[in-house]
Amino acid sequence: MATPTPPRSPSTPPAPPPPSPAGEADKRASFEREALVHLDSLYRVALRLTGNSAEADDLVQETMLKAYRAWDQYQKGTNAKGWLLTILRHAFINEYRRRTRHPETVDLDAIEPFSVFEELQDEDPQGTFFDRIVDDEVLRAIDQLPEQFRETVVLSDVEGLSYEEIARVLEVPVGTVKSRLFRARRLLQQQLYDYAVGMGYIKGSSTG
Amino acid sequence: MNCRECAEHLYEYLDRELTPELEREIRQHLVECPPCGEHFDFEKLFLDFLRARCRAQGAPPELKHRILRELFDE
Repeated sequence: MATPTPPRSPSTPPAPPPPSPAGEADKRASFEREALVHLDSLYRVALRLTGNSAEADDLVQETMLKAYRAWDQYQKGTNAKGWLLTILRHAFINEYRRRTRHPETVDLDAIEPFSVFEELQDEDPQGTFFDRIVDDEVLRAIDQLPEQFRETVVLSDVEGLSYEEIARVLEVPVGTVKSRLFRARRLLQQQLYDYAVGMGYIKGSSTG
Repeated sequence: MNCRECAEHLYEYLDRELTPELEREIRQHLVECPPCGEHFDFEKLFLDFLRARCRAQGAPPELKHRILRELFDE
């Protein structure tokens, strides 16, 4: 599609030097090297936030366009993944969340998940039942988490960000990251445990 | 370090988010207290399982082409 390059926003101060072919090539090279390599990460996070692949595609594309436009503001060699995830999350909150999922109205502090480890003391203390649960089931369980828990667990366990990096992307204190992560993981365990009981992989102490 | 204090730092320990001193104290407790050791082993297994199941998926190739086209008009 040969769309003309959109004009620069008149409010962008100060006017950057006119793009020389060499400057554009450098910009493109550094963007490919530092930003586009995180495409898989952005897609995985977008998929878990939006809940469907068409919206995830659009969200990631929009994130990359915004990131490329703002590329001069990104300090090269710092944490590009965190920077991109912040852009993605803002785009999601501003433009997608209203159309796709709704923010929770449940009281997250009231959620007190039980310890699956204690439930399994007699039957499967080594957690061998996990081996029988497939990828899709785990992703489904993540998708059922309340949004604040879901985004925290995705940034940590799927994308491997540190608590500090997660706190920066989500704009919350590190202590909040810790408590959300604790509850999110416990809830996930609980859901997978219930699923395993339902499938007959384990008997479950409550039924015995 | 008692069992309760140890359990409070469970995920921070497994996520390698503790100071070296606290990490050492917990490691020591886990050696001396088999029930806590088993609990930590279980949680570590769970996190490894979770990560292994969720990291496989990547962006579809068409999406990358679409973005390159949009960015660089290719």
